[in-house]
Amino acid sequence: MTRILQSDKLDNCVARWREAGLTVIGPVKNESSSSYAAVEKAAEFDFSLIMPDRSIKELFFPQTEPMLHYTIKKQRIDTSDFTPPPEKRIIFGARPCDASGLAIDDPLFGWDYKDNFWFQRRDTTVIVTIACTKADDFCMCTSLKLAPDSTKGSDVLLRPLQNNKGWQVEELTDRGRDAFNEIADLLQDGSGPAAPTAVVAEKFNLDACVAWLQNPENFESTFWREISMRCIGCASCTFLCPTCHCFDFQDEGDTYSGIRRKNWDSCSFALFTMHTSGHNPRATQSARWRQRIMHKFNYFPGKFNVNSCSGCGRCSRQCPVDMGITETLQAISTLPS
Amino acid sequence: MNEIFEPKIVAFVCTYCTYAGADLAGTSRLKYAPNVRIVRLPCTGRISPMFILKALQKGADGVLISGCHPGDCHFTHGNYHARRRWMVFRALLEFTGIPSERVKYSWISAAEGGKFADLMNSITEDIRKLGPFDQYNALIKETEAPATF
Amino acid sequence: MTIQETYKARVKKLLASGTVKMVIGYKPGTTADRRRPHFIRTPEEADQLVLDSACITNLSGYLLSEGLLSDEKAVAIFLKPDGIRSINILAAEAQLNSEQILILGFDSNDNQVTALEGEKVEEFTTLIESIKEQAPEALKNPLLEQIEGMTPKERFAFWQGEFSRCIKCYACRQACPMCYCRRCIVDCNQPQWVNTSSHTLGNFEWNIVRAFHLSGRCVGCGNCDRACPVNIPLRLINAKMAQEVLGAFDHFSGMSHTQEPVLASFKKDDSETFIL
Ligand code: SF4
Ligand code: SF4
Ligand code: SF4
Repeated sequence: MTRILQSDKLDNCVARWREAGLTVIGPVKNESSSSYAAVEKAAEFDFSLIMPDRSIKELFFPQTEPMLHYTIKKQRIDTSDFTPPPEKRIIFGARPCDASGLAIDDPLFGWDYKDNFWFQRRDTTVIVTIACTKADDFCMCTSLKLAPDSTKGSDVLLRPLQNNKGWQVEELTDRGRDAFNEIADLLQDGSGPAAPTAVVAEKFNLDACVAWLQNPENFESTFWREISMRCIGCASCTFLCPTCHCFDFQDEGDTYSGIRRKNWDSCSFALFTMHTSGHNPRATQSARWRQRIMHKFNYFPGKFNVNSCSGCGRCSRQCPVDMGITETLQAISTLPS
Repeated sequence: MNEIFEPKIVAFVCTYCTYAGADLAGTSRLKYAPNVRIVRLPCTGRISPMFILKALQKGADGVLISGCHPGDCHFTHGNYHARRRWMVFRALLEFTGIPSERVKYSWISAAEGGKFADLMNSITEDIRKLGPFDQYNALIKETEAPATF
Repeated sequence: MTIQETYKARVKKLLASGTVKMVIGYKPGTTADRRRPHFIRTPEEADQLVLDSACITNLSGYLLSEGLLSDEKAVAIFLKPDGIRSINILAAEAQLNSEQILILGFDSNDNQVTALEGEKVEEFTTLIESIKEQAPEALKNPLLEQIEGMTPKERFAFWQGEFSRCIKCYACRQACPMCYCRRCIVDCNQPQWVNTSSHTLGNFEWNIVRAFHLSGRCVGCGNCDRACPVNIPLRLINAKMAQEVLGAFDHFSGMSHTQEPVLASFKKDDSETFIL
């Protein structure tokens, strides 16, 4: 039996979840930029955004995170660990591409070593996704074999009603069911007609691209230089990406004490691969852009059997020089493999 | 708060004039506030604005930068270059809300032991009145705290 | 003929005759209002050239792409007045030889593109002088004045709010034609002056360093501001610093390819009212 959550009940839900000790997070826009942020009232949400400028990743993998505190004395080194906050959270109104992004990164963070900073947050967060009824020129989930109503990575999927007054509730996991049992009396039985999901045209043939990337001869192709000539080497694509996950350790402090932090890093930076000797194996920007594409569509799937891209389009949407995954893969699909 | 606030002040000084002036203050047995930590550099031209940021980052409540009077620079014009840089950097700090009362500049020659001692005293008093740099300290605190979400 | 077509013909001629080896211009972008940098090496590639009021990016930074100018062959580039000023600065700072650069100047006002006379950077001097005349007015900005009217505490809080959003993607740096250092100060760790972590303190320090290094060098092209993915109003700090060097030293960046950099020069009678 499908149930319905009406928009005018959402404020009560938020209050109820907050009473139950959950931090309620959702898409929020202030004058200049948007992100997933904590709210106190449902009115703070902005569901009209195609998606927030900043991806959901930062809620699980913050841009800077203290890991341990160290002190160095004459004959000994003491350390004490930071642990991720234990607070429980519900993210209401995630986009399917953002939720999928988290699921894509799970195997990475749990592969040879279980990254507690990631998983503790994953385990204590309920993700309520809203299917998209709108998309823009940059959305490309369908090209990645996902969809505007993908359930991947979500605990609950909501489908907006045609009358725009609420959502059909589709519970997908126990965690999602628990969160919605909390507000069961605020839901209604029945299923009003859902609004049609957004139409997202397929932009490239993924299989053809992957085949081209897997051909070792193409590693040194002149294509890479041509396509990335205008790349300026900033990290906005990687930092806004819900699936890019590279990080760097930094010790902040001095010889005697300090904090070791885990900071976002990016394959776009020349410094990313710079050796102490000054030699840089990825000496040019085209080699760095190639790495980003290869990693997402060749190496990552080779290891984890899933592409490291959910098609949110942020990398193209926010690129200062109008590059991005879409353009590159579109170009690759037209090349002979 | 009953305790009087003892500000931490860092002074970046050139070795030829202001450091010698500080030395003179010492050998003349002039008493001055012990709140100032002196960092000696070859020339005011070597005092990069990065030093000021570093001092603030490490929790200084005030910073003093001091060197030879115009025309007296050991390297002839290190202090002229420095003066321009300070002018610009000062405006930038002011614009971002780092009050100019906390970052001061002076010329003190090797003969001005008295000026050195007086200035240390007055700067210490001024910054004591301003109190700790709470806004900056809050940012420093944040770096030591666990991540929020 | 529209200006775009006139320029297209000129670009084809420049390439066909071998006068330049490359023309850097614009082509259509993903959406109707976006333009992409376009590197034109053959007359055929010029067919895609676009020149209209959506061409706003200052392309001059691409001239410093590794190896581009090292063969001493000429390169032509589409530039607005701010871009032309950045050529002057890059030349004055010995980053390029302005003789090698052929300027295809244009300006846009009210969605109307106009061509600018001249090819060599010196030929635009009168134009730049008139821009300097207007600078005190042009640099005015209501939000800037509002910030100046605040108490230091309020100003700090304002910037704290803005900088707390910074993710240290360094798009502002990478997009800026003046930020050409092979190794940026924030990438140096012996010693490490400012925090590389993207906590608010580190972000504050980064933005102060960036603004300081651009004081008297920024041409106000807006590349940084547009590149910032979290929309921090970097233009306000840039404008403030431009006002400062103009007021204190009568320095307007990018006047000529021999102009002395403001922070690498001095006058004996520079103001020093603030020095005790
Ligand atoms: S690579 Fe681009 S489109 Fe794919 S998930 Fe990352 S930001 Fe989104
Ligand atoms: S600081 Fe910004 S506005 Fe100034 S020159 Fe650089 S990119 Fe252009
Ligand atoms: S572009 Fe914006 S977010 Fe990126 S480093 Fe610069 S100020 Fe920070």
